[in-house]
Amino acid sequence: MVVGFCGMAAAQESPEPILQRAIELHRAGDVEKAIQQYRAYLKVRPDNVDARSNLGAALAGAGHYDEAVAEYREALKGRPRDPRIWLNLALAFYKSGRIAEAAGELSALHTAQPADPQVTLLLADCWLQQGQDRKVIELLTPIEKEKPDDLAIAYLLGTALVRDKQIARGQVMIDRILRNGDSAEARLMMGTAKMSAMDFTGAIADFQKAVELNPNLPDVHAFLGVAQKESGDMEASRAEFQKEIQQNPNDFESNLNLAVLLKQDQEYEGARKLLDRALRVRPGDLAALYQVAAIDLATGKLNEARLRLERIVKESPGFLEAHVSLATIYYRLKRKEDGDREKALVQKLTAEREKSK
Amino acid sequence: MRRVLGWAVVCVAPLAAATPPLVGDAVCAQCHRAEATRYSTTPMARALTSVAQCGILKDHMDLRFREGVYQSAIRREGEGSVLSVTDGRQTLVAPLLWAFGNGKAGQTYVFEYAGALYESRASFFKSVGGLDVTMGAAGSTPNSILAAAGRQMDPAAARDCFGCHATGAVSAGRLHLENLAPGVGCEACHGAGERHAAAVRSGDVANARLASLGKMTAEEMNELCGRCHRTWAEISLNGPRGVNNVRFQPYRLTNSKCYDPGDARIRCTACHDPHGPLEAKAGAYDRRCTACHSAAARTKTCRVAKAGCVGCHMPKAELPGSHAVFTDHQIRVVRAGEGYPN
Repeated sequence: MVVGFCGMAAAQESPEPILQRAIELHRAGDVEKAIQQYRAYLKVRPDNVDARSNLGAALAGAGHYDEAVAEYREALKGRPRDPRIWLNLALAFYKSGRIAEAAGELSALHTAQPADPQVTLLLADCWLQQGQDRKVIELLTPIEKEKPDDLAIAYLLGTALVRDKQIARGQVMIDRILRNGDSAEARLMMGTAKMSAMDFTGAIADFQKAVELNPNLPDVHAFLGVAQKESGDMEASRAEFQKEIQQNPNDFESNLNLAVLLKQDQEYEGARKLLDRALRVRPGDLAALYQVAAIDLATGKLNEARLRLERIVKESPGFLEAHVSLATIYYRLKRKEDGDREKALVQKLTAEREKSK
Repeated sequence: MRRVLGWAVVCVAPLAAATPPLVGDAVCAQCHRAEATRYSTTPMARALTSVAQCGILKDHMDLRFREGVYQSAIRREGEGSVLSVTDGRQTLVAPLLWAFGNGKAGQTYVFEYAGALYESRASFFKSVGGLDVTMGAAGSTPNSILAAAGRQMDPAAARDCFGCHATGAVSAGRLHLENLAPGVGCEACHGAGERHAAAVRSGDVANARLASLGKMTAEEMNELCGRCHRTWAEISLNGPRGVNNVRFQPYRLTNSKCYDPGDARIRCTACHDPHGPLEAKAGAYDRRCTACHSAAARTKTCRVAKAGCVGCHMPKAELPGSHAVFTDHQIRVVRAGEGYPN
């Protein structure tokens, strides 16, 4: 978003021509040169919030998201809660895969501007990526009632409902999208509903149809990969995760699932890079942290693994796999009492799992 | 989307598995003749044989098995054996490639069909002197002639099977059949021997050292043997539950009350000589038990008997579908009427 400046008084030796030049370059699409000019201008006029915001936009346009974030933050110091700059900051986080931070900014922005549809939909999308389906449902349900024909809302809300296993309500959204004919989005939602019902064969068919209709639909390859993994076709699932990552390098599920596959093939370095990316999207995700710990364990980093696993079981006492790994580590470290305690917990959790089957 | 959890095997790597290039047992035997000779006759050394070398298939020229409408036969033809399965209308024929297991309990075969590896649906069982349904396949009904012949091995399964029954077959998580040496060779446990052999030949003592397995703790050894005999971690996560896990000794041993990861008296080699045949006489294990349990050591001793410890405290259990019994390595006081503890 570029802000033009009109009627700026041109003082002698005024830097304003530099700013004007920056804006022209920016509008012409020559962002790298525009960045240079904005920076030159801001050396002389560091308090010009609009120029700084423009610099942020140019940096984001060139893919330098971290630098863009820094400039937007600086701009907001000069004009706190400027909704335009604030939204740009959130967008920079979103585009660079820093979904948790994007969600944080968008959530605050939504509180300040609850009627802004762009903010609402972006926030819903961030929460979906983070697996926070209930929050999406809470956010979009009142709006859906007001805008029953908005397909973007129907899609986001429907996806959240299906993932939250509210299949009947999700089906209403699917039907709404299907009224416009078969679509990749509808097929994706239908496939997701079938996954919830453990119908992986049916889910694969829907996801494959979704790919046919729109191979670039976000998440479609990730979901297809998971369905293929659940049905035992690891090679096919690996290929789908890779396709999803090609389109969206920050897709959480694909990064996590592909990391697990690489880990099984002892490609630990590659797996670790994917897990780092997954954790940027969902910091503190226990499943991802567990996989990092598993790699630490496999590569002999016992203490690193132990610390991670202790944190995991503290946050999630029922995480069986983490307790198993922790017991193994304690035994390796010759901490028999701790190992025995973990082993007893494993036996208890296993018995509970068997009972609930 | 469902949480991705442990996903099958908890990845533990106690020692680096032997990866190519390997030197082979014949090179090890040049210096370690006594150990190599003794070891060559053990079940582990013969965990996998080529069909050409397979004694059971040489001795049994014509094995038959009937399952519903399907009639299977394994017939010796020259240096090989061929599996044929017919339903009366069509026949599938495939030469067998590998024999898994030395036949002490049973032996399962692998063949290739349409570019994929298959585990035979019928296995040889010593106690029946012939073929029966392979363990794990019982309870399913084949719905095609191919299914009656065998089960396709996915890449992970093939990697795991050959990874344990052969040496050098798996490298960087992938199966390389062209590199394998049949059976559990010296380097499967002791690590790749190329550097060691070269160092010995050149007199480079410092580089000749291999990891000393004799100094391993119980836990380290459990992990080493558990690579194939399955660790406590793997079975805890993935099962099987119940008596089906009786054959996974490291798992069962870890469940023993007396298991101490740091105590060498409870490690696998405290009772078993990996270079020699399995001791079958129960009484021969008594002094292993008394290494810990003795009046002199002022530890718990048995109030019932003074000999034949394993007969009571490590009872045998039949593994369903295997036509064999296994010693349960979960050492315990067995109470009357008590079921299989798991």
